[in-house]
Amino acid sequence: MSDIIEIQGVTKTFDHHVAVDDLALKVPERSIYGFIGPNGSGKTTTIRMIMNILYPDRGSIRIFGREQSGSQIARIGYLPEERGLYRKMRLRELIQFHAELKGVSNTGKEADYWLERFDLAPWAKKKLETLSKGMSQKVQFIVTIIDKPELVILDEPFSGLDPVNAELIREVILDLRKTGSTVIFSTHDMTVAEKMCDFIFMIYRGKKVLDGTLQSIQEQFGQDTLRVSVAEGAVDFSGIDGIDRVHDFGRLQEVRLKPGTDPQQVLAGLITRNRLTRFEMASPSLEDIFIRIAKPQRNDQNE
Amino acid sequence: MNKTLVIAKREYIAAVRTKGFIITMLLLPIFMGGGFIVMALTQDKVDLTDKRIAVIDQSGLVGQHLVESAEMRNQYFVLDSATGEKKAPAYYIELIELNEADPERQKLELSDRVRSKEITSFLTVGPDILHPVPGDEASRAAYYSEQSLMDETRSWIGYVLNDRLRQIRVEELGLDATVVSDLFSTINLERMGLSRVDSRTGGIKDARKSNEFEAIVVPYVLLFLMFISIMMSAATLLNAVMEEKSERIAEVLLGSVSPTQFMMGKVLGGLAVSLTTTIIYILGGILMMNRFEMADLIPYSILPWFFVYMLLHIIMVGSAFAGLGAICNDSKDAQAIQFPAMLPLILPMFMVMPVIQNPLGGLATWASLFPPFTPMLMLIRQATQVTIPVWQLVVGLVGVVLFTILSVWIGGRLFRANIIIHGRRPRFGVLLRQVFR
Repeated sequence: MSDIIEIQGVTKTFDHHVAVDDLALKVPERSIYGFIGPNGSGKTTTIRMIMNILYPDRGSIRIFGREQSGSQIARIGYLPEERGLYRKMRLRELIQFHAELKGVSNTGKEADYWLERFDLAPWAKKKLETLSKGMSQKVQFIVTIIDKPELVILDEPFSGLDPVNAELIREVILDLRKTGSTVIFSTHDMTVAEKMCDFIFMIYRGKKVLDGTLQSIQEQFGQDTLRVSVAEGAVDFSGIDGIDRVHDFGRLQEVRLKPGTDPQQVLAGLITRNRLTRFEMASPSLEDIFIRIAKPQRNDQNE
Repeated sequence: MNKTLVIAKREYIAAVRTKGFIITMLLLPIFMGGGFIVMALTQDKVDLTDKRIAVIDQSGLVGQHLVESAEMRNQYFVLDSATGEKKAPAYYIELIELNEADPERQKLELSDRVRSKEITSFLTVGPDILHPVPGDEASRAAYYSEQSLMDETRSWIGYVLNDRLRQIRVEELGLDATVVSDLFSTINLERMGLSRVDSRTGGIKDARKSNEFEAIVVPYVLLFLMFISIMMSAATLLNAVMEEKSERIAEVLLGSVSPTQFMMGKVLGGLAVSLTTTIIYILGGILMMNRFEMADLIPYSILPWFFVYMLLHIIMVGSAFAGLGAICNDSKDAQAIQFPAMLPLILPMFMVMPVIQNPLGGLATWASLFPPFTPMLMLIRQATQVTIPVWQLVVGLVGVVLFTILSVWIGGRLFRANIIIHGRRPRFGVLLRQVFR
């Protein structure tokens, strides 16, 4: 598998704020790559540089094996994070317009196919401004992938979608991958990232902090997590040593252990205080890893 | 299809399909035509209220003559002889003795009578009016009214007064009255254009009587068309681009096209809108003028210039406005920029009259060579009957072409640097850096 995107030593600064700092990243062909990271950490800036909308101050970005230049964006389908469409246009015409911009030959037929697939056919002649937000989101997605681009970059594709529509989009993304496209998407939904992505890339304060398969990322953190449930609801952790942090999900408590803690001792302590229904040793979830990395930021800011 | 053209096509259809466009297309000629109709109507519409003029004649030479002349005028000129309709106001002269004790008080009293609309105006004639000595108070005549500057009555009285005085002076010299009428006969100097070669027959076409229509209306209509074409297309780009930026349409489009294609597509779309409008108007105008047998007034030789100037002007203004629109984040920003940005378009409109009156004067020449003004001011100079030196046309055109290229370059840089950057409107220094980096 060759790499469809190769980013090396890329830095981008706005005024005096370093948005992306010495970034390196390789996206293999036909993979689904998830970009995660807190708001303002540099995801969108990275994506915009890949799209040649922003230029890096330093470093190189190669796409399809060549130095990025404007001519290659025709091969990329791009869904920006903040997106808008001509609200006065009729739905079918709008889709045809975007298809024409992307060089699709039979725009009418393609528009009809996608309108049908996304249950939008009854609105084909309606102006966009009459559509609900969820419908506009679907239209946004259609115009992004209508030419079945080799590379699809989606900035927060699932935000604002109900589960049914999110599922619809997930299906199309997987279809695209099957037909040979490479997909990059950013998301705040760690479960989606865990389930869909072959590789996960996390950027934090402009620097890469995670990059690899879910498994390889989890291995970095070891099995330092316990999942505990008790019959009577809340678990009593009082007086048990070695507990770093408890994440209370209500019916389940996720416990992060301090380094070097023996889980057996914790279990012994728990048994004396609670009627356990579940005790499981596990790798940290992506969400937990995310929070471990990004949490200090909030504390910093509060100081 | 080329992406720039796809954008241009969308812009064009979006603009032409709106009700606003169709309404503007229909209303504009009505307004313009209406303006000329109102002008034509009001030209004949004179004030028909009768005038009463008090006269203090210290010379004793003209008062009675004024009374008689006014009566004669009332008899022959007030009513139309054919229809009996009143076509001019009647004049009534009231002779008043000078109050020698307090002439200033008398003037004040007469002024109050004018103010109370009892009389229209009053006239004082000095005792030595027959052989006036410059600077001598006693040889003055004065006409007092609320609007003495724009008063037709004043010119009539001036004419009658001078005529009477001249008559007395001639009598003093003992000349024959018939000789005198010949002595004072005046000739009317006719206003003519220049002879030219008829492009169709090849023969010499006689000069035609030049009239107001040709001298003012033709240049004015062309200028107005140019102004409208800019306002309809290029000037709207400031807000259109600002909206596309704030509604985040721009970034979606930049996933498919380059910023340059995006901007030029919008400018070309606007150009197509303006071409449509002006071609419809010009064809309509030509048809109308042929119908009313004014075909030889159609400025065919100027029309190619009109379209060349329009093309360049729209690209010049459109690019600049698109660049400025990209700087704005919301309509508040756009409003702040709008007025200064419009100044180069509006300023030439204020120079129209001096330029039409004196197309070869210093103001007309230099202002029309200033590239942002050239498309408007050079056009109206060319539309007048005066021949503009060829070097000025060449310098003007080269200037516009260079300035248009500069404008596209700067506009493009600003557009590219700002179209997806939200937040505060960048300061002037930042913009300069964006342009010259």
